[in-house]
Amino acid sequence: MADEKKSKQRDGSMVFESMYPLLALMLILVACVDLCDAATVVDVYRLVQYDISGVPFGSRFSSLNHHAASLSFQRGADLSRSVLILPLRELDLGFLQDYISQKQSLGGLLILLPQTLRPGNIGGGSVLSETQGFRKLLAQLEKLLVHGNIPFPVYFAFENEETDAMLADVKKNDALGQQATATTGGYKLVISVSEPRKIASPTITNIQGWLPGSRAEGDSNQLPTIAIVASYDTFGAAPALSVGSDSNGSGVVALLEVARLFSTLYSNPKTRGRYNLLFALTSGGPYNYEGTQKWLKSLDQRMRESIDYAICLNSVGSWDNELLVHVSKPPDNAYIKQIFEGFSNVAEDLGFQVALKHKKINISNSRVAWEHEQFSRLRVTAATLSELPTPPELLESAGSLSDTRQLVHDDAIIKGVKLVAESLARHIYGHQRKDIKIFADDSSLAVNPFNVRSWLDLLSQTPRVAPFLSKSEPLIMALKKELEDYTAEVSVQHESLDGIFTFYDSTKASLNIYQVASVTFDLLLLLVLGSYLIVLFSFLVITTRGVDDLISLFRRPPSRKVKMV
Amino acid sequence: MTLFHFFNCAILTFGPHAVYYSATPLSEYDTLGTSVKAAVVYLATALVKLVCLATFLQVSETEVFDPYQEALKAMIGFIDVAGLYFALAQLTHRNISQNHKFQAVGLGWAFADSVLHRLAPLWVGARGLEFTWDYVLQGLEANANLVFTISLAALGSLMWLRKNKPKTLIPIIYTCAVIIATMPSITSYLRRVMGWHFPKVVGFELMTSLVMAFISCQLFILCQRPSL
Repeated sequence: MADEKKSKQRDGSMVFESMYPLLALMLILVACVDLCDAATVVDVYRLVQYDISGVPFGSRFSSLNHHAASLSFQRGADLSRSVLILPLRELDLGFLQDYISQKQSLGGLLILLPQTLRPGNIGGGSVLSETQGFRKLLAQLEKLLVHGNIPFPVYFAFENEETDAMLADVKKNDALGQQATATTGGYKLVISVSEPRKIASPTITNIQGWLPGSRAEGDSNQLPTIAIVASYDTFGAAPALSVGSDSNGSGVVALLEVARLFSTLYSNPKTRGRYNLLFALTSGGPYNYEGTQKWLKSLDQRMRESIDYAICLNSVGSWDNELLVHVSKPPDNAYIKQIFEGFSNVAEDLGFQVALKHKKINISNSRVAWEHEQFSRLRVTAATLSELPTPPELLESAGSLSDTRQLVHDDAIIKGVKLVAESLARHIYGHQRKDIKIFADDSSLAVNPFNVRSWLDLLSQTPRVAPFLSKSEPLIMALKKELEDYTAEVSVQHESLDGIFTFYDSTKASLNIYQVASVTFDLLLLLVLGSYLIVLFSFLVITTRGVDDLISLFRRPPSRKVKMV
Repeated sequence: MTLFHFFNCAILTFGPHAVYYSATPLSEYDTLGTSVKAAVVYLATALVKLVCLATFLQVSETEVFDPYQEALKAMIGFIDVAGLYFALAQLTHRNISQNHKFQAVGLGWAFADSVLHRLAPLWVGARGLEFTWDYVLQGLEANANLVFTISLAALGSLMWLRKNKPKTLIPIIYTCAVIIATMPSITSYLRRVMGWHFPKVVGFELMTSLVMAFISCQLFILCQRPSL
């Protein structure tokens, strides 16, 4: 009786003692792997994918299912099954260039951009200086990525706390030399989207507004016309982020404001000029101004011949003292002289300068760098008002990642609007050399800065890459409605973007970040659990049936063999 | 890979029940029927509890510890005790000794509890790509629950099936039974008011379960003495 009680007590203490090492092992396991949060989801934007005459450019893949790696990986490590995470601040352009040119395989590339470059982010001045340093780096990166053929998925994302934490963790692991693979745990990045497909027949939409002048006694068709044109679509490294505030959101806003001012003037028959005004918002700008060409060709021949001259607006949002007038006809041409004189007189009054830049058109070269060249090819006098000193290359300066709202100064656009409106008005009403301010501030014809600001804000949050805009896109409807308010006749023209460009869809996706445990961890856990169950089993057998029973469990087979013999 | 993790957590959650059954003399005396009956009684009890909770409890959006609600939950928790009483005392079992009866009932009860509360989350969650410690902790909690249930069954059998008990031990028996029965309220109090995280709560449960098992074991032995 007493012995039984003692053995039970000893067994009781044995319980605790056998549990200690097990508990200690579990505590060590817990300490090794940090307690992790649930999976995070981040919005990511894919690099553009397009072909020019069948030659592939951009990132050719979209789905992703690999482990994360950072730049601190060991040299010579195999990254073909990893996604490289590169924050913009630590970008090593040379390394990336080598990787792409040597066609080394990489699982994927994730570029983290600072939050200040986010389209909806209207930051303050202190932030601006930080982003200035990035703009040049970003421009070089975009050039490299857009003009290269990249055989792995490339995505852009904005930094936030979760990505920062993950990146710090990944860097720490990489520094220790533990390459994240299936057996060593780490982070797994998964983007599950279908493979990108060609966009069948992308449409470009031109919107034109017609403001008729007052006829004297003759036909209104014989009235001369002045055209104001701006292209509203963009192209950039990440089509879902191409908001193009300066190129060419500023031009669109300037055009709308000029249209508003003249619609006020023309609403009263007494102040209606003897010129028709034609406002056009064209698409297809980055692709050699295909939309402008198609729109011009679709115009009635008589209408086209009645165009006295056309002013094209391209990037008028971030200049200070000098605005450039680009022409393709030689500067000593009478019409060009007239236009330029008009501009420089007004500019002088307003306190800045304009300069004339001449670039000859090369008929054999299909590259159309300025919008006015499309007019000149059809023998219409035209000039482009722009802050850009040199003609942009193909697919450049059309809404890059760094072209956000902060780049544009509202008063630059307002000065541009005043320049165009005043010079137009002086030409229309014949006050060329007089010192008159028709659109003076504090008058009923003043430029409305709130209108400018609200349209600019809207455009800075709307990506406008033409192949991804549908025919009834809300933005196109909004622009059409705005022109309907200001002009008498609005017509919308849908054309298909044929020619040498082919685009692929899948521009936006969700990235899932999982923290995964390695196979070794699972095996270790299995081992621990197996030993726990075995210990539990033996403990229970010992306490309820006695130690002899446990030993007899192992002794039975040999004794049987003996019996058989 | 992650099916591996599911398998690991499953053997952690349900393994000890199987091991307990096979290791102790329960398997020799073929008490499976008793366990199954106990599991069925648990299901019925769970249904009754659900209906009562749905009728009387108000769902609060925040994780605030409302003493009135918690008291109500504890009272509904006593339906558990009533179910256990029914399984122990009212069901007819074959002639098995009291020693094995409470073990079998406790085992069946705990197994049904684990399956009902933990199998579905395990199947849905542990197979995912993301790794969390939650399911391992849940398995540990299932282990603690097994020990709790068996201790409660032991104390229950002492309370209702044994007639001659030493007078001094009766209050201890009842307090221990009350503590074990209100364990869910205690853990929810710790989690909400004291703000303990899941691992801490599970550790506390494991420790308490071992302590209570030890105490009920001792009580059982002490009560067994007069019958000898």
